[in-house]
This record gives sequence, structure tokens and C-alpha cells, in this order.
Amino acid sequence: MKVSREQKINMYRSMIRIRRFEDKLEQIYRDGKLNGHSHTCHGGEAIAVGAIEALSEKDIIFSNHRGHGHFLARGTSPKNIMAECYGKVTGTNKGRSGSMYLVDTKRGMPVASGIVGGNICLATGSALASQIKKDDVVTLSIFGDGATNIGFFHEALNMAALWNLPIVYLCENNQYGEGTKREQHQKIKKISDRAIAYAMSGLTVDGTDVIKVYKTVKQAVEKARSGGGPTLVECVAYRLSGHSAGDLGIYRPRGEKEEWEKIYDPIKKYKKQLLKEGMLTLQETEKIEEEIQKEIKEAVKFAIESEEPLVETVGKYVYQEDENNE
Amino acid sequence: MSEMMYVEALRTALREEMRRDKSVFIMGEDITRYGFGVNRGLVDEFGSDRVRNTPISEAAIIGSAVGAALRGMRPVAEIMFVDFIMIGMDQIVNQAAKMSYLSNGELSVPMVIRTPEGTEWFGGGAQHSQTLHSMFMNIPGLKLVIPSDPYDAKGLLKSAIRDDNPVIFFEHKQLYTQKGEVPEEEYTIPLGKAVIKKEGKDLTLVATSWMIKHSLEVAEELKGKISIEVIDPRTLVPLDKDTIIDSVKKTGRLLVIDESSINGGIQGEIISVVMKEAFWNMEFPPRRLGSLNTPIPFSESLEKEVFPTKEKIKKEVLSMFSD
Repeated sequence: MKVSREQKINMYRSMIRIRRFEDKLEQIYRDGKLNGHSHTCHGGEAIAVGAIEALSEKDIIFSNHRGHGHFLARGTSPKNIMAECYGKVTGTNKGRSGSMYLVDTKRGMPVASGIVGGNICLATGSALASQIKKDDVVTLSIFGDGATNIGFFHEALNMAALWNLPIVYLCENNQYGEGTKREQHQKIKKISDRAIAYAMSGLTVDGTDVIKVYKTVKQAVEKARSGGGPTLVECVAYRLSGHSAGDLGIYRPRGEKEEWEKIYDPIKKYKKQLLKEGMLTLQETEKIEEEIQKEIKEAVKFAIESEEPLVETVGKYVYQEDENNE
Repeated sequence: MSEMMYVEALRTALREEMRRDKSVFIMGEDITRYGFGVNRGLVDEFGSDRVRNTPISEAAIIGSAVGAALRGMRPVAEIMFVDFIMIGMDQIVNQAAKMSYLSNGELSVPMVIRTPEGTEWFGGGAQHSQTLHSMFMNIPGLKLVIPSDPYDAKGLLKSAIRDDNPVIFFEHKQLYTQKGEVPEEEYTIPLGKAVIKKEGKDLTLVATSWMIKHSLEVAEELKGKISIEVIDPRTLVPLDKDTIIDSVKKTGRLLVIDESSINGGIQGEIISVVMKEAFWNMEFPPRRLGSLNTPIPFSESLEKEVFPTKEKIKKEVLSMFSD
């Protein structure tokens, strides 16, 4: 499976965009300028970028509460996501979501779920629709390690295997379910082993290696598209941020984060690789960094300067026919 | 016109809508081989792709219906007993009901969940006999349909399937075998339109589902003494407030009967809605009747004590004219 230079550089740019976007967002929350919950994917950028690169344009992605990275990787503008975090009318959901339930229907991304595991059955239904319609679309269902303990996971994977649905279940194993380390929330060593229980293929891949993630997910997507059924892909990484903005992660063993950061930071790792392969020069990486910083700055400015939603619209679209609820 | 059972009226609606629109498909536990028989025979015409038996996985049945609806299908999911809907509650409340709003109307969830509720002739007890529709009235984003006879069942199910919002369609186990006139030709009944089942001038009796039958019998028995107007809202969301309010303004008396437990039930909700407009027309305080605030017990003698019966309704009506 060949990956072109252009693809490789685009993936790098995308990872930097996610990291800088979320660095900025965390800072804004820390400064007390925003309300609500915000979950960043620091350390998981390679999963978002590698997996989504493996999809075609018509494919569908069900994202979750830790979803900025998925949307950015798919091409949603940082401006619209930032504006959504600010609750502005220019946001992805016109200010109705905040950070957790982003949507981008033009890019095949329905509303993300803020309920852990809440979208796994929905994604399965999307794959069911594809099977009935025979539309050649593959659905990607993204969730974390914590979600694999919830009933939805079991019900959905059993159903998808039984019906041979065109879906890829992507587990971002970032080793923490909120504040609970994985060893304390499940006994199983490899999450992909759970696929065995459904007679489904299960793969585990280094989630800090964007190329490996891309190749593994691509293989699963092609299998699903050609009628080969679902796959559970586990991507192992490490959550370098807290569970949500403001969480300092005091529950982590001393030194754990630093150790992972040193060896497994997906961005540092990928940058080193690209420099070594001669795909990028140091100068070029600096240029990318500069461009992204500018992009993020503009996104914040756009969000701040955007209008609040009109109060009169509060009852709009509770129902499709636009009834206003009393 | 032909006479058919409620269960047949539902099946006819499903068949007609599946013929009319390829995106309609049905799924649920044992729907081709067991249960109350609504879906009987449909697999022969439409095949197992569009008539799907599922594992016992209510969250996945409801959740995958939501997902398929987001992709342009019109799923009709059957939940064998309303009690089981609780397994899929997140998928209804946190997912289906929120999609349109969170996407500013860009996403729609045109799905129907059909499910029977109410007490049974064979004593289903605490986890197979509940009436749970009231709790869904507190969730913006859902439509609630509750037909009381074969004619309404068919016309409303067709409208529910064509509706672009998530609809929960509450049937009643006692109604399945009830017969009624159903036209041969195509018809639909709009959601949000109540029907006056019997006209009257002394008391407005709002009732739902299986309670309509009791209410009509009471109205008949008291004919000559008290003139009762029986109204079936047919859909709880949207609620046809005007028909009820106009009636109460005319009669000055209101009794609301529903099989939900009385605490927090739709009975109190309907009374509140009406009182806002018709309080100064009242000749007697509004009353409500529902199931006792207990789980449903198995023993027949205990079960009868819990839900509203014809006798209880009659007693309640008479007490409103005791002065």
C-alpha cells in the first residue's frame, strides 16, 4: 500500500492543526473565557488523521465527545469549530452544541455523541442503511476504550457481525476512561480480542504511528466495502491531556505521562520520520507550523467576532417542520 | 369499508407504506414468527432484507433505526413490550430526539418505534404491563401517537411512517383483537388532530387508547342523565389543544382518563393546558383518573385494582355531578 508524499505532508499538516487548535482551546478554557465541557485528543492525532485518510469522500463518520480532531481531519474549518465552542451562530451547529456534539453533514459527519458509546448503534444503523441501499458507503464508528465496556458496544458489534455490515469500529485506546486507568476498568489486555466474541476480525495497531493507522484502517475499510463485513480496529495511544479542559490528571502515576510523551508523542514521532525520509526539511516544518498558528489565530478571531444566535430561534428545529415549542 | 381487527389495520398500513416507499423497512425481535402478529406475512412479500428479525438487543434495534433514518431510510422498529423500550432509552432521548435540533434541521430521523403497552388479559405483571407514554411527553423532539381503534391505527401509522421526526407509536394489547370499520381506499390521519368520538354537552371526557372503549360505554350507560362528550387526542405530541379547550368551554367539566400512573402522567398535563384557557368556564374542578402509583401486580384481583375500569370511570363521572 503506497502513501504519496503529498498525502504524507497533508497528514502531517492535519496533525499539527489538531494539536495547535486544541492547545489554544485548552488555554482559552484555562483562562476562564469559555463555559462547558471540552475534551481534547492530545496524543491521539495520528488516529484521527490516519483513520479518516483511509476513507473515501462518501463514507460516513460517527464521532464522539472527543471529536475536534475527527472533524478537523475530515476538513471542517477550524473557524466553524472554534465558533461552535464559543456558542456562536457561525459555529458548526449554530451555537447549539458547544464542543461535544459537532456536526458536518456536508462531510458525512452526523451529530457526534456526548454519551460514551452512544453512537455505536447509530453507526451500525448507518451501515445497515448502506447494506439495504447497496450504496457502497462504509461507516466509521469512533469511540474510546471506556466505551467498550458499555452495552451498546456489545449489542452493536454482535448485530454487525451477524448481518455482515459494512462498518469499521475504531477504538481509540488512550488508556484512560475519564480518570480511570484501563487496567482498572477492564481485565482484557487487548481490546481487539473482544472481536473474537462476535466472530469478527480484530486488529491492534500502534495509534501513535499515523502511517500504520492509515494502512490498517484502509485494509478494514476495503474489506467492508467489498462485502467482507465489519472489523474492530484498536489503536493504542496515550491521552496526553486531561479528560476534559481543566483536568490536570492528578490520578496518573508520577512520570507516566512524561515517559509516553518522550517516546510516543505521535507528532514528534512523525516529524522525525518525515525528516529522516527526506519528505520534509526542518525549514518546511517550521513553515507549516507558522501557517497553522496563523490559521488558529484567525479561527479564534472569527469566533470572538461572530454573532450570538438570535434568541427567537430557540424553538427552531426541535421538529423538522420548524414548529416552535411552547 | 371492511371490518378488520386493529392488528390487521396496522399490518395493512405497514404493507401499503412498504409498497409505496422502498426506504421503509421493519425490524424487531421475532417479527416474522412470534409475538402479537402485526408483521405476519410481510416477509413473504418484502423479503428478509426489509423485514428483519433482530437479536434481543433493544438498544441496537432502536439505535440502528436512528442511524438508518439519518441515512435516509424510514425504519419501523418494533419493541415487543413497551417495558423493554427502557433498554434503548438513551438512543431515543439523547440521540433520536436531539438530531434535528443539534444540526439546525439539517439532519432528520424519520423513524417509528411501534410498541404495545397496558395491562394484559393473561397477567404480564410488573415488567410486561406498564403504560409508559407519559414519560416521553417530557422529551422535546419526539412525537407520540396513541390510536384507540383500527381506523385510527391504520391512518395514523401511515402518517407516522411518512413523518420526518422520530415517532413513538403506542399500541394497546387489549386493542389488537378489537374490530372496526376500515375503508378499502387510501387514507391518512394527520398527527395533531383529535377526534370527538361522541358529542355531548355536560362533561368533556378526554381519554386515550383502551380507555376510549370504557369511556364510550359509560357515556352510553349514562345517556339521558348526563350528556358526555368523549374526545380522543389520538396524538399526545403534537397535542390538539383547541379541540379539547373548545369542548371544555362548552361543557364546563373535564375528566381526563389515561392508563399511565397518575403521578406526573399526561392527565395532569392536559388539565394544565386546558385550564390556562378555560378556567373561567369551569363549573366543577377538573378531575383525572389513571393507574395507581404502584407497579402492576400479577394477581387478577390486585391488577384490576390498579388500572382504571369502566366502574371506576362511571363512579368518577357521577361524583362530578353530585351537587
